[in-house]
Amino acid sequence: MNPLIFTGIAVGFAFGFALQRGRFCMNSAFRDIIVMKDLTLLKAVGVAILVAMIGFAVMDKTGVITISPVPFFWGALMVGGFVFGIGMVLAGGCASGITYRLGEGMIGAMMAVLGLTLVGLMTSKGILHPAVTALREATMITLADGSAPTLANLAGVPFWLMALIIAGVVLIVWAAVTKRNGESTETGEKVSVYQSVFKKGWGWKAAGIVIGVINIIAFYSSASAGRMYPLGICGGYWSTTNTLITGVNQMNWLSVTLLSTILGAFVAAKIAGEFKFRAPAPKTLVQTFFGGVIMGFGAAMGGGCNITHILSGVPQLALSSILGGAFLVFGCWFMAYFLFIRPMRNLD
Amino acid sequence: MADEVKVDKTLDVKGEICPNPDVRTMTTLEKMEKGQILEVLVDYPLSVERIPRNVENRKHKVLKVEQISGPEHRILIEAKANRE
Repeated sequence: MNPLIFTGIAVGFAFGFALQRGRFCMNSAFRDIIVMKDLTLLKAVGVAILVAMIGFAVMDKTGVITISPVPFFWGALMVGGFVFGIGMVLAGGCASGITYRLGEGMIGAMMAVLGLTLVGLMTSKGILHPAVTALREATMITLADGSAPTLANLAGVPFWLMALIIAGVVLIVWAAVTKRNGESTETGEKVSVYQSVFKKGWGWKAAGIVIGVINIIAFYSSASAGRMYPLGICGGYWSTTNTLITGVNQMNWLSVTLLSTILGAFVAAKIAGEFKFRAPAPKTLVQTFFGGVIMGFGAAMGGGCNITHILSGVPQLALSSILGGAFLVFGCWFMAYFLFIRPMRNLD
Repeated sequence: MADEVKVDKTLDVKGEICPNPDVRTMTTLEKMEKGQILEVLVDYPLSVERIPRNVENRKHKVLKVEQISGPEHRILIEAKANRE
């Protein structure tokens, strides 16, 4: 075991703290495009991706990290992403959402984590694993040199250059759209710095920037410990549980980071006065467990959850994560339509 | 609470998962008459921030958001039924 995995303690704690303060959940971000027409969290996700993209570009150029896209097994990415998207709507949160709410004491989130861990392990290692192997092998596409495709290597451009170009273009377009729509900047009553950091929920800009920066540091910390990838979540639940069940130490950078993430969210919630054990109706508990089950299968099939693909893979310009992320959004919308939009329409 | 408005309906969504507090608040408001008061009891932090924002977007009026204890909040909303 590499002792540098323990640098993940600091990274995870900061990540969990920021998740809870920023209410950073991609299920809400994507679902509310169509359900509530509320884009606040989507903007936070966008900022986090852009900040990470710029940071990864600098670290790639200086040789601190090597861009490590998830392999492009398109069939498994599409199935896994879509299924994960369906699951997170039922679970009431994405991988990061249910993790920070576990730290807040929400029993619904705990049930989702249980389902995700159980079936995720069955899929990544257990009896469902042959299905994963079969679909991945049947649909794997690699480039001539054996590497996984990214927007950079497909265009024949160095990663750092492509990442800076894309981030630059997106920032300019975003600024132009914001200006045209005449959106007001975030305002609110004047509060002290202590209040705005520890007591009130963060605005989308602050949440996005902080989580993006944490992911940059995470990539460096993780690479130092021999794991060449930024933040993830699901794999941490699986290796931790495997260690607990088999007694064989399988703890790695991700599992250490994940445990610390839950702790960070707990501390943030405690300080803000938002920690409390609370449970929804029993029917909802069954639903969130089942949602977690589906998420676990999806993440193990598609090579990762929303953090691995959208927060960490998209800024690496990985084609796999862009495809998997898109199908995750489709799955989220598909389920949200039946669960929320149709019932809301049937009122009249 | 002498100066309090009369509450016509109470919606207890404590412990509920995302986004049930929001959706149930919206669907309940749609079924209420113009001017009636809905009391929402909610302990999910994201919904405490999001409900006032989205309720105003739908032309209902937020009268009050108050903390009861810890994450528990009480939101008072005046329904403005948009339907003819």
